[in-house]
Amino acid sequence: MASRIERLGEWRSELTLFSLGVLVVGAASLIVAVVGSALFFLVQGVTPYAKLVSSATSPFQASILYTALALALVAVIAGFGTYKRMLTKAAREAVISGGALGLQTVLVCVFYLAFREGDKFSIFVRQFFSFDKLGPFMGQFFNAAKNTVILAFSGQLIGMALGLTLALLVLSNRVVVRAPARVYINFMRGVPLLMLLSVGYLGVVTGLGLDVSVYKAGIVILGLNAGAYSAEIFRSGIQSLERGQLEAARSLGMSYLQAMRYVIVPQAVRRVIPPLMNEFVILIKDTSLIAFLGFAFQDRELLAWASDTYGELFNSTAFTASVLGYLVITLPLIRLVTALERRLRSGLVGIGA
Amino acid sequence: MSGNSSLVRLEGIHKHFGALHVLKGIDLAVEKSGVVVIIGPSGSGKSTLLRTINLLEEPSAGRVFFDGREITDIRTDVNKVRTEIGIVFQQFNLWPHMTALGNIAISLRKVLKLSQEQARDRALEELEHVGLGNKAGAHPGQLSGGQQQRVAIARALAMRPKLMLFDEITSALDPELVKEVLDTMKRLAHEGMTMVVVTHEMGFAREVGTRLIFMDDGTIVEDGLPKEIFSQPGDARTKSFLSHIL
Repeated sequence: MASRIERLGEWRSELTLFSLGVLVVGAASLIVAVVGSALFFLVQGVTPYAKLVSSATSPFQASILYTALALALVAVIAGFGTYKRMLTKAAREAVISGGALGLQTVLVCVFYLAFREGDKFSIFVRQFFSFDKLGPFMGQFFNAAKNTVILAFSGQLIGMALGLTLALLVLSNRVVVRAPARVYINFMRGVPLLMLLSVGYLGVVTGLGLDVSVYKAGIVILGLNAGAYSAEIFRSGIQSLERGQLEAARSLGMSYLQAMRYVIVPQAVRRVIPPLMNEFVILIKDTSLIAFLGFAFQDRELLAWASDTYGELFNSTAFTASVLGYLVITLPLIRLVTALERRLRSGLVGIGA
Repeated sequence: MSGNSSLVRLEGIHKHFGALHVLKGIDLAVEKSGVVVIIGPSGSGKSTLLRTINLLEEPSAGRVFFDGREITDIRTDVNKVRTEIGIVFQQFNLWPHMTALGNIAISLRKVLKLSQEQARDRALEELEHVGLGNKAGAHPGQLSGGQQQRVAIARALAMRPKLMLFDEITSALDPELVKEVLDTMKRLAHEGMTMVVVTHEMGFAREVGTRLIFMDDGTIVEDGLPKEIFSQPGDARTKSFLSHIL
């Protein structure tokens, strides 16, 4: 009996070792394929694009991919073939993860190998990865990125101030106070932003001959639109508070406005930070819509810069850069929203000062 | 009962919530320094009645007098009246984004317009009064239910009200925390505070109450001395209610 149990123990540790092995092989296959190729490209040089093409089609690149493929197949077969026989949950999770990573490597490698054989491959690389051509335009690129942030941030500031005011109006007990705010909010939510920009700039600003730049008009229209969405966010934040919070304030003699200012709004604002930041991310992307109105040269944001630069070079690398620009701005914000939401769910924000 | 010494007088109070008729003609006078305890089955309208006294519920019909003035008069400054009537709720309703001290000081600053030092000193004094002088910097989430409720009492008392309303303030507490809150109320009663107390604590009603009111179905069924009602309930409904909870 004792020896049987001992043997079970041995199997257990052997299988744990095996499962770790599968996980490592699976992870290694993906790292070789992606990081290995990237390093190889970097060492060979990424400009001009012809270097990228020759690296990508070189036999050395092929050997990297086939090595990765071999590792991946080992991980897939070992992982999905054995996971049912694992003795612990951790071991099972490890082999399944190894198999899944291997599968991803297979997909990446097969797609890439097929793609680089195609007759459009070098044209594709030239279209999207001719970074050397962007050189003279990079100063304007950073200016455009800065403008994107300023447009979105200013719009968001107007939107939050307007939104909080509208939310307080919409929560009024009096229909005559509530109704106009509700009409405004629903109008803004019901009309496409492109339409608002057209009407606001082409119709109002140029139509009436006002001396306002696209940049400023864009900020105002974005803000007026964001105000409607912020209002709904603030309203839901205020309504999510318990009724007793307001009653306690009123019963101590605070006026409605005092109660809102000192008790309700400070709490509501904490709760709505994640959805407001989500809206900010959307606003960052929506700044690109202003581009169709035609910015002054120094006022251009990322999309306007990208299409102008494309127009000059007839090359899409400007779009690649501009997409990367948006991601550099938005991804950290998205991460922050997720982190804040997790903190809110665990109740930490409610208590903290 | 409606002599000149009464601090609160309700006349013919009705309250409807939509189709629901919650208060059906309540007349009640509360004498100065009296401790009026209201008991009754859930849904009988006790909390609603209590909340009409500081106009958290506006009566559908009837008049409320406080300290000689009709406060249901449309020209009354309700905010001003409420500074003289403290209320403590079942759910504490402390503000979680402020410290215990902040919870108390904010209305002293913004409503009574005290200076920052005056507000802080008075808030600290009230916290010490309920035995929580060392918790001034704590946020509500860091306090036990009983401590939170005592902060809520201190918050109401800091306004120096003439009347205190208590709305089932021990009902949300763990049993071992009830006593500290009841003790605070008892001391307040002994200090001569006029109090209207909705509660299920029959021991408190018997010991501290100067008057007991039994409500059922939106009306006052019985009104008298606690000892007498407990020993000889006059109405069958009172008898049935007391037999269920005692």
